[in-house]
Amino acid sequence: MPKLPAPPVPAPLKAPPARPGEGNGKVAPVDHGRNAGVAVVDWVDERTSLSGGARWLMFRKVPKGTNWFYTLGSATMFAFLSQAVTGVFLAMYYRPDPSGGAYESIRHVTNEVFLGQFVRGMHKWGSSVMVILVFLHMGRTFFFGAYKYPRELNWVIGVVLLILTMLMSFTGYLLPFDQRAYWATIVGTNINGTGPLLGPYLSDFLRAGPEFGATTLSRFYAIHMLLVPGAIAALIGAHLYLVTKLGTTAPPWLKAEKDPELRKAEA
Amino acid sequence: MPGAFEGETVTRRRFMNIGGQAAGGIAAASFLLPALGFAIGPIFKEAPHTWETVGPIGDFPDNNYIPTVITITPGVGEAGKTTVYVRKRNPAIDTDRADRDAAFIAISTRCAHLGCPVRWVGAAERFICPCHGGVYDLLGRRVGGPPVRPLDRFYTRVREGYVQIGPRYSVNSELERFSPRDPGEPIDGLGQYAYPSRPSARKL
Amino acid sequence: MNQREKEEYLREYGILKSQGKPFFPYAVAKDAAMACVVMACIITMSLVLGAELGSKANPTTTTYVPRPEWYFFFLFEVLRVVKPPSLVPLATIGVPTLGMILLFLLPFYDRSPERRPERRPIATITGIVVIAAMAFLTYSGANAGSPTAIEMATPPAVLKAGGTTLATYEAGKLAVAQTGCLACHKIGENGNDGPGPQLTHIGARLPRQGIARTLVNPTAPMPSFRNLPPQKFNAVVEFLSQLK
Repeated sequence: MPKLPAPPVPAPLKAPPARPGEGNGKVAPVDHGRNAGVAVVDWVDERTSLSGGARWLMFRKVPKGTNWFYTLGSATMFAFLSQAVTGVFLAMYYRPDPSGGAYESIRHVTNEVFLGQFVRGMHKWGSSVMVILVFLHMGRTFFFGAYKYPRELNWVIGVVLLILTMLMSFTGYLLPFDQRAYWATIVGTNINGTGPLLGPYLSDFLRAGPEFGATTLSRFYAIHMLLVPGAIAALIGAHLYLVTKLGTTAPPWLKAEKDPELRKAEA
Repeated sequence: MPGAFEGETVTRRRFMNIGGQAAGGIAAASFLLPALGFAIGPIFKEAPHTWETVGPIGDFPDNNYIPTVITITPGVGEAGKTTVYVRKRNPAIDTDRADRDAAFIAISTRCAHLGCPVRWVGAAERFICPCHGGVYDLLGRRVGGPPVRPLDRFYTRVREGYVQIGPRYSVNSELERFSPRDPGEPIDGLGQYAYPSRPSARKL
Repeated sequence: MNQREKEEYLREYGILKSQGKPFFPYAVAKDAAMACVVMACIITMSLVLGAELGSKANPTTTTYVPRPEWYFFFLFEVLRVVKPPSLVPLATIGVPTLGMILLFLLPFYDRSPERRPERRPIATITGIVVIAAMAFLTYSGANAGSPTAIEMATPPAVLKAGGTTLATYEAGKLAVAQTGCLACHKIGENGNDGPGPQLTHIGARLPRQGIARTLVNPTAPMPSFRNLPPQKFNAVVEFLSQLK
């Protein structure tokens, strides 16, 4: 395993190595402090054996030729984490009340709360960024043929995650309860209604009744902040497990070099 | 048939297997089914019919529409209101069934394509939808764009010289009445079976 | 892929993997750098573009022009261009559902062992065509003008003439936008392409009297505009005859 280069610290600042025999084997309180972190990790690991899993996750090899395209997946996950955190804090201020509370609470967040517009902006634009990253990640997987054996199941999970992401952006749409939100939701629920036979019941389900009503907003809110994020988090877990288990693909144009010893033998 | 241990039979093991799975299934179903029923309950609950007085009969001419705001979902303030275009019935142009529910014509502003707000343009005698380009004539019948049926209407009645507006209904291209459908659901021909009427909203 | 191809892939991949670098810290460093870029994007957008909040939802409006968030523009544009009512369920539910099913089942019908994009011409070309189509639809959806306003540059000739010509032109522009012409006609980026013909260059095709005659005595389904106030009517005719 190649080693990272040492940080370029000027020689006088480097800690001198401990001299042998110093302290005569006694452990100073400072050393206890130094070892505290290790001791805690040790204590937890002794009872959970988590270090094996962490090693399995972190110290696997990625094939050579892995380039920046391969960071799109983790970038998407990071955007999701950012959405989750900003979303939790927005939920502290939000009231899903269609008779005025919803719009008023968002107006309050945007105009009056300290950093309110910034956090709401992060959530709003974060959703755009996440949608873009999902599509880029999928495009990379498609063009590199990375959905093929043995990673078919991971592709399927990924498509479900794409659908859930679109569902998130659709349900999140309504919550500010401004004109755009309201009419986009009306159109969106009616689009669901155009499915033959089941469509009318599906749009009734989404609205909790035949018309936009008192509980439509709380229904969308529950789907947006509990149901779908839970499903997304669980599926990201499955996605990651499969990535670690099967390994990330190598770029498709890369061929494995022959083992040097084999080449020598052939010569 | 011998089992894994002395005296144990495969039948007994199968019983434990099925019993364990059944008990787990019952436990899961006992919270999943009520929750599901709770969530889909509103589909089967009929919304109450309301009649709202909108003005004396003299307010509504028979050659032009008057925009009128009514409440279709009580209890949610502004969010439960909608605009309907109302005019007096004009026997010269109105060809639909003339009964006591149609002395006044009340046309919904929800586009029959996907529910955007249509606008009555008097100069062109057209209802125009700003979303995807639906255009309707004076009677609410489609003349252009993607809408799948004419604009929905509301029942009207006259009480003591005042016009009252009731629940919504849908019409097909011959202006026959059907239970209210959501926008985007055709009701001509096979459409009325492919998009059945829902228990939550029936016609009068 | 048959069993031999599967084993061949796994062997090849095993060698490539063994020649690779450990995930920590090499890939992790890249991922972390990318995460910083993502956060920088989000924070910059939040600071620069802010979080606008439109006016409060008003279901009684008849003047609001609904437009979706940008990532639904492609769907919005599909709904706008699919005109025959019989095809509406296909555009709303049919095509998106079919697309999702095709995407979902991709690894099950594309079973060839080849992974290089240039050696899978069908898949690569399909992917590029789909992306180009979605980009095009998103672009035209974003530029879809409202059918209640005309956003068109005033022609230089009218600007030069100034005075009453310019005033009539502007009055006509407003009148055309307000009388619902754009419901059936396209003028520049505004309005719907059909059922009526495009009017972007109507002045070059019809003389002024011809336009006035058509407005009074149109062919069905176009309604007659003979009831417009004369001043408004003249402004409309004046404006349309300037569209060359």
